[in-house]
Amino acid sequence: MKNFEFLHNITIGQYLPTGSAIHRLHPAVKMLAAGLLVAAIIISNDVSPICVSLLLSLIGIKLAKIPIRYALKGIRPAIPIIIFIAALQILFASQGESGRVFLETRIITITAGDFLIAAVTALRLVVLILIISLFTLCTDLKELTHGTEGLLKPLARIRFPVHELSMIITVTLRFLPILSDEAENLIKAQISRGADFGKGKMGLFKRVYRMLPLFVPLLILSLRRAESLALAMEARCYTGGKGRTRLVRFPFRKADIAGLIAACAAAGAIITINFSRLDNAIWVRFFT
Amino acid sequence: MKKLTIRRIVVAGVMSAIAIFFGATGLGYIPWFGGVSITIMVVPVVIATVLEGPVIGFIVGLIFGVTSLIQAAVAPKSPLDPLFVYPWLSILPRLFIGPVTWLVYASIKKITTAFGKTKEAVGLVLGAIAGSLTNTILVLGLLGIFYLGYTEWLTWPWIGSIVVSNGLPEAAAAAVFTLTVVSAWKGIEYGRKKSKLSDEIDDEE
Repeated sequence: MKNFEFLHNITIGQYLPTGSAIHRLHPAVKMLAAGLLVAAIIISNDVSPICVSLLLSLIGIKLAKIPIRYALKGIRPAIPIIIFIAALQILFASQGESGRVFLETRIITITAGDFLIAAVTALRLVVLILIISLFTLCTDLKELTHGTEGLLKPLARIRFPVHELSMIITVTLRFLPILSDEAENLIKAQISRGADFGKGKMGLFKRVYRMLPLFVPLLILSLRRAESLALAMEARCYTGGKGRTRLVRFPFRKADIAGLIAACAAAGAIITINFSRLDNAIWVRFFT
Repeated sequence: MKKLTIRRIVVAGVMSAIAIFFGATGLGYIPWFGGVSITIMVVPVVIATVLEGPVIGFIVGLIFGVTSLIQAAVAPKSPLDPLFVYPWLSILPRLFIGPVTWLVYASIKKITTAFGKTKEAVGLVLGAIAGSLTNTILVLGLLGIFYLGYTEWLTWPWIGSIVVSNGLPEAAAAAVFTLTVVSAWKGIEYGRKKSKLSDEIDDEE
């Protein structure tokens, strides 16, 4: 356990308030837009749609007034994996081999087509990270829960517990920093009492046994906090979602409709380019 | 569907937070041979199920799945992670952990009550093992069905070996963690009741 500060590692969401037009969009619109774009990218397999999506995400980052370097920082932890996957593709992938052959042995075959596919795979990961980072940079936690509840509200007609689910998500997000602090305290306390969290080789049971002094107190303390929280909510007359009004409201404005249309258009463009024939032929001829 | 009381909502939230926390900080990964780690992120799902029911287990599993999807997309740690961006691989299997665990746990409680003494501990252990194996088998099974050959070594024999070399220890670890936490929480007695220190004092006398 070389570093105690766990909160630094939780980069699931870092909100950067810049007050841009994108920040001010309705959270449900932002979620839908992110979802559509992510889906469009996942389906894409060719070079052109990925390049277009890269361009669009960079435009989005610029529109959100986020410094490009800051957004690109999110890619850094993933770089080793991206390189590894690209290398695997180049050396071992048997689909998409075409064009000039660079190396042919019994196990490893490297062709120009392999490089193309590796580039597509790598870029695809990068764009995914950019888009999801853009989403979390523009949406803070309060908006996230409002957005989820807004999106799921139509389901309330079939008696789906929309409000309860968004309350659960709120509690979850609220507890993450608490857990991080708690875990940090526990580890420090146990180590100061001479606990050994163990490194190096040892059997499964020894490892599990060593982890118990961290795991069990963390869970028991969390369960206790859960009980207090439930009691506190009840004491403040929380009775669930029926007839519940909100202090902060997100009106649906014209800008939101525009944003939604833009997102649909972007996703549509990516998918159309992906399924049109002109793509791969051009690139392959260019590179081989 | 059982009523979603405040207590259930909060427990679901807390267990989901623990699952996310273990995943995001790496505490949930116990290093194991073969480069693949044993994950204990199933344990919060199991504990939530055992304490509050299958619906809550389902919800915690859902949140666990969604966050594992987001983590695979944003901060991939293994070569297979890009595949976990597909929800049918990351979310769908995790939805079943809660219900399966509950099935096993509740049936064992009923059976042992019918025969005399209610063996809660047995239910916990077997429920946890069932839940963990559900996760392992469904995830690896779907991986094999949809993505065979994604990389050179993704074949059924490899998957089978992972199920045995990883899945079984994971189930055992899940059982140990679940049993200790839930029995400490519920105050059930099992095994030794005296602390180590009191044993020493007795010996000295």
